[in-house]
Amino acid sequence: MKNSLYIVIVGCGRLGSILANRLSREGHSVVVIDRDESTFAGLSPDFSGFRVEGDAAQMAVLHEAKSKKADVFIATTHDDNINLMVAQIARKILNVPHVLARVFDPRREQVYTQLGIETVCPTSVAAEIFLRAVATGAADKKEG
Amino acid sequence: MKVLIAGAGKTLYFLSRNFAAKGYEVVIINRDGEECVQLARQLSATVVCGEGSNPEILKDAGAMGADAMLAITPNDQDNLVICQLASLLYGVPKTLALANDPDNAEVFEQLGVSAFSTTRIVGSLIEQRASLEHITNLLPVGEGRVNVTEIIIDADSPVAGKHLKDIDLPENALVAVVIRDNRPIVPRGPSQLLTGDRVVLISLPENHGPVLRVFTGEQK
Amino acid sequence: MREKEYLRQRYAAILSSTGIILVLSGVVMLLPLLILLAYPQEGQDAWAFVIPAICLGLLGLALWRIFHPPTPVTLSIQEGGVIVLISWITVTLFSARPFMSVTNLDFSRAVFESVSGWTTTGLSVVDVTKASHMILMWRSLMQLAGGAGLAIIMMSAIMGRTGVGISSAEGRSDQLVPQVRESARLVLIIYTSYAAAGTLAYWLAGMELFDAVNHSFAAVSTGGFSTSPESIGHWNSVAIEAVSLPLMLLGNLSFVTAWLLWRGRIRFVVRNGEIRLITVVIPLAAALLFLFTCRALYPQIGKSLRVSIFETITALTTTGFSTVSYESWNSFGMLVLIVLMLIGGGTCSTAGGIKQFRIYTLWRLLIWEFRRSLLPRNAVIEVHVWERNRRVFVNDARVRQIYVFVFLYLATYIFGTLILCAHGYTLRDSLFEFASAIGTVGLSVGVTSADMPDTALWAETLAMFLGRLEFMVVIVSLFKAIKDGGHWVSLTLHGKEGL
Repeated sequence: MKNSLYIVIVGCGRLGSILANRLSREGHSVVVIDRDESTFAGLSPDFSGFRVEGDAAQMAVLHEAKSKKADVFIATTHDDNINLMVAQIARKILNVPHVLARVFDPRREQVYTQLGIETVCPTSVAAEIFLRAVATGAADKKEG
Repeated sequence: MKVLIAGAGKTLYFLSRNFAAKGYEVVIINRDGEECVQLARQLSATVVCGEGSNPEILKDAGAMGADAMLAITPNDQDNLVICQLASLLYGVPKTLALANDPDNAEVFEQLGVSAFSTTRIVGSLIEQRASLEHITNLLPVGEGRVNVTEIIIDADSPVAGKHLKDIDLPENALVAVVIRDNRPIVPRGPSQLLTGDRVVLISLPENHGPVLRVFTGEQK
Repeated sequence: MREKEYLRQRYAAILSSTGIILVLSGVVMLLPLLILLAYPQEGQDAWAFVIPAICLGLLGLALWRIFHPPTPVTLSIQEGGVIVLISWITVTLFSARPFMSVTNLDFSRAVFESVSGWTTTGLSVVDVTKASHMILMWRSLMQLAGGAGLAIIMMSAIMGRTGVGISSAEGRSDQLVPQVRESARLVLIIYTSYAAAGTLAYWLAGMELFDAVNHSFAAVSTGGFSTSPESIGHWNSVAIEAVSLPLMLLGNLSFVTAWLLWRGRIRFVVRNGEIRLITVVIPLAAALLFLFTCRALYPQIGKSLRVSIFETITALTTTGFSTVSYESWNSFGMLVLIVLMLIGGGTCSTAGGIKQFRIYTLWRLLIWEFRRSLLPRNAVIEVHVWERNRRVFVNDARVRQIYVFVFLYLATYIFGTLILCAHGYTLRDSLFEFASAIGTVGLSVGVTSADMPDTALWAETLAMFLGRLEFMVVIVSLFKAIKDGGHWVSLTLHGKEGL
């Protein structure tokens, strides 16, 4: 399939499983890593990627997922620190072209953007959206 | 010197006690409320309760004025982030992270954080001690690239009574120090090795075996 | 009422996917017409293929378009199972038609041959000396396609999303790469290269091109149909037997293992349980056959060795090519072959039987059970096997599934043997023939023939079907369909009485 990417996703929680299901459905090769095997139950029946059970903080587990070959590496565990560590490893040591990490704490996020890691901070994003909603609400109220 | 230590358990306690005894200003960061209470009672250090990888907590603990940051939690990822935050946000000059997974020690170094692995150190200590009684491997210095070994010369050692210049040592090996009657001597060519001497050898892992055999005369 | 709507939706999706498979199978059914390029004199038989093919295709097309879901639907594994069941039944029924018109077999025999083809068994009721080239080609094509599996065929074409459930249901649960369509494509590539290489090898070894093609298809699909009534034995050629052996072994290898081998991951291949099993079983069985059966029967050493090795491999890989007839074989030899047929080939391959992986796992459990008694009482033991490139710990659920399967398999085997015995066949012959049917092997002592009683024939037909689809899919899907059907009916009835 053209444009099929090799994607490694660390963490199979709510975000990780959504990403995994969608990307696999779109035809990409997806490998999901999670420490807890029971989280793989969150993958949809037509998920056709591989599952690796293990602690992504260990190099051996990243190697088992063949992270070196990845086109995209996404860190979505619930622990910011794990996400930051594996994202750095993927970027600087394994030279994965596209690395993304979810970081909940906005303050940590700033430091990592400095280090060249592309981060998504749900807290900041949600804050933006809520604030915009409040602003539009207030504007509507003024007009109405 | 002001040292920040983030961690938990016995290692944290004894290290902190050690540093405090040396006269350093120690600030402990620990996330468990009850453990913090115990630490506060038993040590003269400042105890801050919170997550080491939280920038606010680091600031609170005085990272701005700290000379060193030591991260020894059981989680490698936390140790990495603590050291990186301390160094990037607060400019702490010396940071050291514990890598529980020995593979991560190299990884951390590549990411710019000094790291050490107790697994490797303890592992080689056990290995060497288990083999022969009068050989102790002290430290794998330089991340295991150099071995420092202490050997006791006994009566049937092939080098007992020999002069250093007459001992046929393999390449890349050095007799660094000879301890006789608890006095360290740095030997030169004419120096003689006597029975009962404790010899400190420097060797590389590749020639470790042959070097030892020169002094012990047996198959290792 | 919403439940009824839900059921309607799900079954619409099921039927729609089934439709696609039927269309593709219809195309496969047209392939034998290519034979006309070489043998144009068989033109009058063409309609026997074209008509059912077109009907199958149209039926499929209709199902696909009529029931096509407006929004894409993800089918569960159980629903995949229902698709597999319906498709296989439909395809095998339509595939029987050419046998009825061209070779004039009655319905039971025609369905038997069709099922034997698609399930890659190889037992035959057709007189191959009188069969036309198109019919012979069709038999081999059915085996080639059946070996690949309808799921693979479907996924290599258009469909994407529903692939996973269907391939798991058809027994190909492990993938080569982390994307199901890519994996299916790779399997097809591996498979066709086997077939192409096999054809070339047979031709170089001395077979005529037509025979080479047919036997290559039958070998790599571990099917076993032959253009000669004496199977491979007809050629009495070391070269041809030598070509057959690696083809059969490759066909029996799990595609995942073959992929690992191809990628050079020898470490994982060596650790693989099935590889370990066959490296012990094949030499052992061949030696036993040689010492206790063949040496006496075939006084010439060369021949005895050839027979021992060939028969061992054809039985274990469940291919079904034979080099000799079994009438004069002693009970020892027959039992060895029966055991080999029951063990069967590798999982996720074209072979049948209980499957080497299950036997290997049971063996490991046995060893560990003994070892356990020597370990500290409170020791915690985790038994593992190597699957693909990682260790999988054998948990209770897996063990339970294996035991249930083995029980089902053996129970059906005994039951089937009883049926054959009831028709007057000897115990020896019944045990052999039914093991061959249920394991989709294809070796025969002569029980299977055109003048077999109908009930015995249908028993074998059902056995082949259950064996290929590994029992559970058939049984579970059947129950599900019945349950859903019953539910639908009761909802409709109650609906008529108002809310």
